[in-house]
Amino acid sequence: MTGPDEPAALHATELGFRYRARGEWALRECGFTVPRGRITALVGRNGAGKSTLLHLAGGLLRPAHGEIRVLGAAPGGGAARSRVALLTQDKPLYPRFTVADTLRMGGRLNASWDQPVAERVVREGGIALSARVGELSPGRRTRVALALALGKRPELLLLDEPLADLDPVVRGEIMATLMAEAAEREVSIVLSSHVLPDLEQTCDWVVLLRAGRVELSEDADALREGHALLTGHVEEEPTLREHTVVHRRTHGRQLTALVRPRGPVGGTWHVERPGLEEILLGHLQDGTRGAKGAAA
Amino acid sequence: MKGTLWLAWRQQRALVACAVVVVLAAAALAAYFRAGMLDDLRSGLFDHCDPGPLYCTRAPDGLPQFLDVEPLRLLGALNLVLPVLVGVFWGAPLLGRDRELGTHQMVLSQGVGRAQWFASRFALAALGTAVLSGALALLFRWWWEPAVNRSYGVFWYEATALTGSGPSLVAAALFGLAVGTLAGLLTRRVLSAAAWTLLVTGAVAVLVQWTHRARLLVPPHRYVSDGWQPKEPMGDKWSTGHYGLITGSGRRDSAAECPFPSGRELRECMTGHGYVSRYYEANPAGDYWAFQWADTALLGGLALVLLLVTVLLLRRRV
Repeated sequence: MTGPDEPAALHATELGFRYRARGEWALRECGFTVPRGRITALVGRNGAGKSTLLHLAGGLLRPAHGEIRVLGAAPGGGAARSRVALLTQDKPLYPRFTVADTLRMGGRLNASWDQPVAERVVREGGIALSARVGELSPGRRTRVALALALGKRPELLLLDEPLADLDPVVRGEIMATLMAEAAEREVSIVLSSHVLPDLEQTCDWVVLLRAGRVELSEDADALREGHALLTGHVEEEPTLREHTVVHRRTHGRQLTALVRPRGPVGGTWHVERPGLEEILLGHLQDGTRGAKGAAA
Repeated sequence: MKGTLWLAWRQQRALVACAVVVVLAAAALAAYFRAGMLDDLRSGLFDHCDPGPLYCTRAPDGLPQFLDVEPLRLLGALNLVLPVLVGVFWGAPLLGRDRELGTHQMVLSQGVGRAQWFASRFALAALGTAVLSGALALLFRWWWEPAVNRSYGVFWYEATALTGSGPSLVAAALFGLAVGTLAGLLTRRVLSAAAWTLLVTGAVAVLVQWTHRARLLVPPHRYVSDGWQPKEPMGDKWSTGHYGLITGSGRRDSAAECPFPSGRELRECMTGHGYVSRYYEANPAGDYWAFQWADTALLGGLALVLLLVTVLLLRRRV
């Protein structure tokens, strides 16, 4: 499937970007690699730099510092353009075009175009080709935008919050379509989302951004195995000193801690294997430990 | 290139259709009214009129006599505001609409690059603008032809004729397009881009009219007549309104020193003050082309500069 010499889906070194208007760094010193063939969850709080990272990978922005490569090529260049599809957060489409026009545009603007796939994605949502894009519901518009991205037959699909402002039923449908297409063609997908439960089932790689820096870029199973959720008496806490405590929370005299153990854990703890959602949440909350942890 | 041209056409076809309708309507009106003008001239009513700026009068009551040139002036007025219209309705949405909707991100996520995307849409808009303005300028010229520089017609220096015809109209329209395009790129909103375009293109149009009146780019010619012999007639020249007297040493004084048109009083006044000749300043009718090329160079140059700025900013802004 993917050999070791094959270029990674995403590879960033020392990547930095700042928006002129705001002046502060939206991303800085980001270095990570996402292998091919993965479905990657790009996670982070608002303003962590998820959209910026995807725009950089899609070639819509240029790094202020460092470098990012997509499938071994520079984003926005001819080689990358035909192999990478990007769906931005607000899924912009021409409101006055019909769905058929929109797909025709995809055919005209791309060197390779799979009209049957694009039409199938649209038809699965029960959308008429003659409908005007501006008159579609947000869920259906997302589906048309997704059809445009999938019709391109990309090797790497970048999706920026594709499921935001959609109801759970539509979210499930769109995810199902996406996964079916991904499985059929071995597309690498990078997907940013706030909806952590949706990611648990689908993603096998995680990139976690915090305040413009990459904190995690790891295999999802390795993450699950590498973390432990410990519950025990507050007085047991000193036994955790040698391990990395990602997040801790006290409730009376009871302490719950998400830990990355470095070797066997001493003391008397009730040990659980955390889900991906708990791990990600723990990492996202990390740093607000003092105030929120005590209150919880 | 084909794909982006298709998209440009798909997005601009309504504007192209509008332009075609405008040209066809103007052509139909021009043909109708020009035929009427020719009929009037053939009727012999104007045969006694001298060329020159003095009104031609009707024999029975002495009232001034005109061809029906008001519709022609209306076309000239449309041509005067054409750069603003092109800038607001064609230039401002060219990048502004995509910037406002964010759709350029969708287009640039397909298989095309910025340069190609911009080149296609700007080329189509520029071609449309050039054809529209060129056709309207030629229509004006054709319609104007029986009435050029006649007392009963339209003189070359009227704003409607000087700005509303010729190659400078094409340059002005392209300038309007370039202003609108850059405004759309910078403001990210069609409406504010349109407002800026209206302001800038309107201001430049007023400035151009001012350079005409001030004869800034095409200096006037000084017509000198020795002594008190009659001055060369003004004819179809465009007077600056400066005229007066010249002394033996070459000093020029206001005509008010000797406010007499001719005859003994003038002669006595001039000898008394030591004036040896009289002068007036005006642009001859042939300067129509000097004004045209000056405006074409000015507005075309500005349009090129704006286009260059747009292209340079494109990479950073889109």
